[in-house]
Amino acid sequence: MAQCVQSVQEFIQDSFVPMVAVLCSEDAEKVTRKNNLNFSELLRPFCRLTSEGHMRDPSNQLQVVKNLRISVNNVVTRPSVPSSGVPGHAHRRLLSEVVLTCQPAEGGVANVITAGDYDLNISATTPWFEAYRESFLQSMPASDHEFLNHYLACLLVVSSSEAVPVEKFLKLSQEQHRIQHSGEYTNPKWFIPNTLKYYVLLHDMSQGDEQRADSVYEDMKQRYGAQGCYLLKVNSRTAAAGADEQIPDPWSQYLHKSSLQSQVQLGPRLSVPKNNVGGTSEVDGHDSEEKGSLDNTHPLQLDTPSDTPGSLDALRAVAVETKPPPLTTGVAAATSHGACLTLNDHDRIRLFIQEFTFRGLLPHIEKNIRQLNDQLVSRKGLSRSLFSATKKWFGGGKVPEKSIAELKNTSGLLYPPEAPELQIRKMADLCFLVQLYDLAYSCYHTAKKDFLSDQAMLYAAGALEMAAVSAFLQVGAPRPYPAHYMDTAIQTYRDVSKNMVLAERCALLSAEVLKSQAKYSDAATLLIKMTSEDSDLRSALLLEQAAHCFINMRNPMVRKFAFHMILAGHRFSKAGQKRHALRCYCQAMQVYKGKGWSLAEDHINFTIGRQSFTLRQPENAVTAFRHILTNDSQQTSTQQGAFLREYLYVYKNVTGACEVALPQLPLPCINSSATRVYFGHERRLAEGEKQAATHVSLDQEFDRDLAAMWQDLEEQVVAAAKRGVVPATFQSTQCCLNSQTDNLRFPLAVVEEPIIVEVVFRNPLKVPLVLSDLSLLWKFTLKDFNRPQTNKARGCVVYLPGYRP
Amino acid sequence: MAVCIAVIAKENYPLYIRSVPVQNELKFHYTVHTSLDVVEEKISAVGKAMADQRELYLGLLYPTEDYKVYGYVTNSKVKFVIVADSSNTSLRDNEIRSMFRKLHNSFTDVMCNPFYNPGDTIQSKAFDSMVSAMMVQAS
Repeated sequence: MAQCVQSVQEFIQDSFVPMVAVLCSEDAEKVTRKNNLNFSELLRPFCRLTSEGHMRDPSNQLQVVKNLRISVNNVVTRPSVPSSGVPGHAHRRLLSEVVLTCQPAEGGVANVITAGDYDLNISATTPWFEAYRESFLQSMPASDHEFLNHYLACLLVVSSSEAVPVEKFLKLSQEQHRIQHSGEYTNPKWFIPNTLKYYVLLHDMSQGDEQRADSVYEDMKQRYGAQGCYLLKVNSRTAAAGADEQIPDPWSQYLHKSSLQSQVQLGPRLSVPKNNVGGTSEVDGHDSEEKGSLDNTHPLQLDTPSDTPGSLDALRAVAVETKPPPLTTGVAAATSHGACLTLNDHDRIRLFIQEFTFRGLLPHIEKNIRQLNDQLVSRKGLSRSLFSATKKWFGGGKVPEKSIAELKNTSGLLYPPEAPELQIRKMADLCFLVQLYDLAYSCYHTAKKDFLSDQAMLYAAGALEMAAVSAFLQVGAPRPYPAHYMDTAIQTYRDVSKNMVLAERCALLSAEVLKSQAKYSDAATLLIKMTSEDSDLRSALLLEQAAHCFINMRNPMVRKFAFHMILAGHRFSKAGQKRHALRCYCQAMQVYKGKGWSLAEDHINFTIGRQSFTLRQPENAVTAFRHILTNDSQQTSTQQGAFLREYLYVYKNVTGACEVALPQLPLPCINSSATRVYFGHERRLAEGEKQAATHVSLDQEFDRDLAAMWQDLEEQVVAAAKRGVVPATFQSTQCCLNSQTDNLRFPLAVVEEPIIVEVVFRNPLKVPLVLSDLSLLWKFTLKDFNRPQTNKARGCVVYLPGYRP
Repeated sequence: MAVCIAVIAKENYPLYIRSVPVQNELKFHYTVHTSLDVVEEKISAVGKAMADQRELYLGLLYPTEDYKVYGYVTNSKVKFVIVADSSNTSLRDNEIRSMFRKLHNSFTDVMCNPFYNPGDTIQSKAFDSMVSAMMVQAS
């Protein structure tokens, strides 16, 4: 895989973070709205804690929690992604948007990798993949078999300008209770029955009464305890104040992503009233391209002639259509965020989150871990011994680990929410979220055994996945990374539960871990196994990452890299990501160029040409096509015909633009040394009784001896005419200039008599070329012969235009 | 029976490629090109100690879902690659070795031809006919 910005540990820790929900009253909403933000957005840039927290594990040892991040979201009671294993259409669109907007910088960081005799110039990082991964992991739906995405706590936010804040708090608390327990909503999911409720009094400094706010806060402290509430003061600056100091705007990077996500959430609602047949077709030009004529092509197939009319039409259609309609991304760069907040406010918010996490969230988690642990130990003591005792008497022997193939196919959810096996899982998840990896690993291991023996495959797969990850993250790494756990988990997700989303998450995590351990070939195999027909974008990104794995090996496998880049490029173009496709093909081209694998090179050039054309880079297209047509092509004649047609089509579009310089065509090949120039009317050798009085005609081959003889004769004639003396300035007449005559002297031509130029063409292709409307370009230069040194009669010179071979 | 046979020069450009189902030729070109990576790995893996003892037959390079790819390298670093159909399971190692031996002999004959410049593509009819005999009959 390419190098990523985050290290492996950071990446995994960031993928699984404690989730906190937010319920805001309307007034509080208004307060934050002054900054063009809602409350959760306000908190988002500050969610990474810079200081360390402490907590005690059940064995009362102090653990340090470093670099924790929490995730704060509004309570959304409508599911954003269907909980089945197949990502919805809107979800896919979000992901493709993310990848589309993240393009490599022009002239970005490039490594020069020397492998054998290949010098490749490729970029070592793939930021679009990281962007995809991040949004994929963030938009994963919460499921019932694992608890990592479930909300641990809820922030209840009320503004201090309320008449009776306490009542409002009560109302919000009841609301949260209702959402969690009434059973009407499948989303959001809550971790524990008694979710932590944290009461936040939001005070607007610019328009509130500070004394009153403080007194209300004191009251709250009495009621809910000092650890359960907080007074947050914001908006120290009025909106009207000018921007004399530059306030940093950390919100813009988070808001772009969340606006796409919220747009996605609105998407299903908007499109339902319309009668969409065959999916949405209104917004994205990319979607319509997905269903274009590129759908059913094999990656290595070149177009047969029967396909090309269709593909040419597609090219025409793309050329005609204007840029895809601009997405309503809503939050443009122009709106400013946080205009009412000073740096002091930023600090206060940071402090608030720290307080909340260390005083509220972590103790809550610690308490729950302790509770669950106590439950488990007590239950384990009793039931385990009973169970094992009965097994000893009736069953006998250890239950062998069954392979996945032998176990029955149970993918349904078997457990009620309070089942003991799920308690183990909950405890393991809690430990994992606060970085207690040893405890997490042992719990996951136990849970896995339970689930496997109960044949609850989905749960087992989840436990396997997390066990592997926590084994890897354990400090000190007492055990090696169990890659087979991950493989089993992925296989189960794919085959038994048919849940590609979870399988993809597994694959991403595992590949990252393997990459950090420099096991590149394993990672590559894993990634390639995950590619499938249902999602082009995912397959394209995974193939590209596999290609990077190959190139990062100790002995870089350059050709495998190139091959997988080509496959990735093909999938990218099927997914509608044309610029990424072009980039992949160009990188693969570096490996194949000039190495003699002509079919492959032609194929790549052809595809590059097509892609460049659709991306409106016609010069690149022309160059790429030219390569195909000039080399000694070994393609079949039908193939060449197809290439030629494409080339001419692209060419017409290019030349329409520039009229200044005449273009240079690669065909037909001109054999410039065989050119002949003939002065005067064409003289035929013999027509019946008449004989042409010349020794030269275009039909004849040039014969040096004969020409020398005629030249002698001419000299003698002139000498005879001039009484035996050949004048010094005598030059014999030249009727025909070719490659063997002396062409430095200026020949004489008669005015109003034609000059015939014979040019030899060669067609290197196997298809006939039809040339029409040929005309010879010529330039006339008047040369002054009256200068002393030349001493020739005044004449003129016709320059024939230089041939461009 | 082979589906595609290729002879590759020392500088890793193809001297001769033939494949039987002609429409899939490009796929075979790519497969052979990519298998060169594995060949290089095997050559370099053996190391300096056994340079004189290195065996010419490299064995199964890698299996894909439809095909198996076998490799063979001569002492002058000319590589032969055979792509065989996986469904044809009766091909044993000895048969592949004999195919390679035949290829090597024919190749030596081609090299012995005084009019043949090493580095040109192979255009000898005898070589062609020998290769056709080894390929799957086009049905």
